[in-house]
Amino acid sequence: MNDKLVSFKGNNEGIYVHIKEGDFKVIKNQLELKLRKIGNFFKGSNVINFKGKQLTIQEKDELKTLIEEEYGIAICEVEDNKISIDDSNENIVKNDLFQGIDEGQTKFIRSTIRSGQCIEYDGNLVIIGDVNPGGQLIASGNIIVMGSLRGFAHAGKDGKRNAIVVAYNLQPTQLRIGDIIARKPDDEDCKFEMSKWPEIARIEQDVVMIEPYLPKK
Amino acid sequence: MSEVIVITSGKGGVGKTTTTANIGAGLAQAGNKVVVIDADIGLRNLDVVLGLENRIVYDIVDVVNKVCRLKQGLIRDKRYEGLYLLPAAQTKDKTAVTPGEMFELCNDLKEHFDYVIIDCPAGIEQGFQNAIAGAQKAIVVTTPEISAVRDADRIIGLLEAKGLHNPMLIINRIRQDMVKRGDMMNIDDMIDILAIDLLGVVPDDESIVISTNKGEPVISDDNSFAGKAFSNISKRILGEEVPLLDLDVDESMLSKLRKLIFGK
Repeated sequence: MNDKLVSFKGNNEGIYVHIKEGDFKVIKNQLELKLRKIGNFFKGSNVINFKGKQLTIQEKDELKTLIEEEYGIAICEVEDNKISIDDSNENIVKNDLFQGIDEGQTKFIRSTIRSGQCIEYDGNLVIIGDVNPGGQLIASGNIIVMGSLRGFAHAGKDGKRNAIVVAYNLQPTQLRIGDIIARKPDDEDCKFEMSKWPEIARIEQDVVMIEPYLPKK
Repeated sequence: MSEVIVITSGKGGVGKTTTTANIGAGLAQAGNKVVVIDADIGLRNLDVVLGLENRIVYDIVDVVNKVCRLKQGLIRDKRYEGLYLLPAAQTKDKTAVTPGEMFELCNDLKEHFDYVIIDCPAGIEQGFQNAIAGAQKAIVVTTPEISAVRDADRIIGLLEAKGLHNPMLIINRIRQDMVKRGDMMNIDDMIDILAIDLLGVVPDDESIVISTNKGEPVISDDNSFAGKAFSNISKRILGEEVPLLDLDVDESMLSKLRKLIFGK
């Protein structure tokens, strides 16, 4: 089962080492074997980074010295922003930050997000279901909940203040957009009427505004 | 076809043990061979609720460690034919059993019983992991309090992560008069949040306290509404193929309850 945990792959920026989930010792061994076999082929070229399995800094350093010192392959590290293990994303250039607010990568989740569950995504997030109190949504883009949002939501986590949060029933315990934080009012007496229509939260003049987005019904 | 059902809640004190004892008794009353397992090692209660405390010789840890045979660890109930208890150890803690051992134990018991019902300890640590290891179905017990519902929600998420999908919900200790006044969460609110099927609603009832102290499952008390509720829940567990009946039973129970409250 342990065969081929390590492979070299290339894209338009250079070569990177793709590492699958597995025991670090085995990974190191395999990398060494692989380099011994084909090491000369890569001599002088640039390895950009490691991908796949999340390595600790220590593990990374160990592999780096192995590659650099023994086989003379330079490593110029490109800052990786949480690369997913998923192979299908490989041909997307990794170092361009999520741009879209009006359009861009989107993740769809079709289930209820319950207390203790956390969904984090570099892109837009669409939940087809409810988000219960104690559940967390964090996205670098917009957040759309096709149900009740009763948990925590943070849209535009990289500081994008033009991100929005939309829900059929918008009642988050705490809402963050960019660097602005809003929360449910403490006052029990001014209990908001359960809104009968979907609402949108966005930032206007440094304040989170919540309003219905459909023309008056 | 035997079933392993875990009864869990996350929060403590919502009535897991009472529910386990009564469902066990109810299923046994209907002629099934049932074993109830107390997975709350170190804080055993189920034996007390069933009134079998003084008969304990061996416990679950002895069975798992092969100190005794499985049959020796089981205690036959004094009232219900076909009901057996596998008690927890009181002097050990949750780490005395591993999920793997628990899984094996459940598989062994499945061969001898129609229903294996596991009383899960509160919390989400190893005790919980042990209790759900061998289960095929889960029943989540909650009370109409925000904290209990929140914990139930977390538990449902954890159960789903472990492959126990579609757990069933029991709402315990509801007080219809308080719900009417708007001082207590109502059933619809809870189902709305938890989004799972309702197995039954048990009213808050003094007779539970009385019967628990006596060591008799309340289900044997014909005059108790909580007992009737548990009896209905047991019937629903047995008759899952007839979903329409569930609603009818539920409705008539609630209307009886209403009558009781307003009759007074």
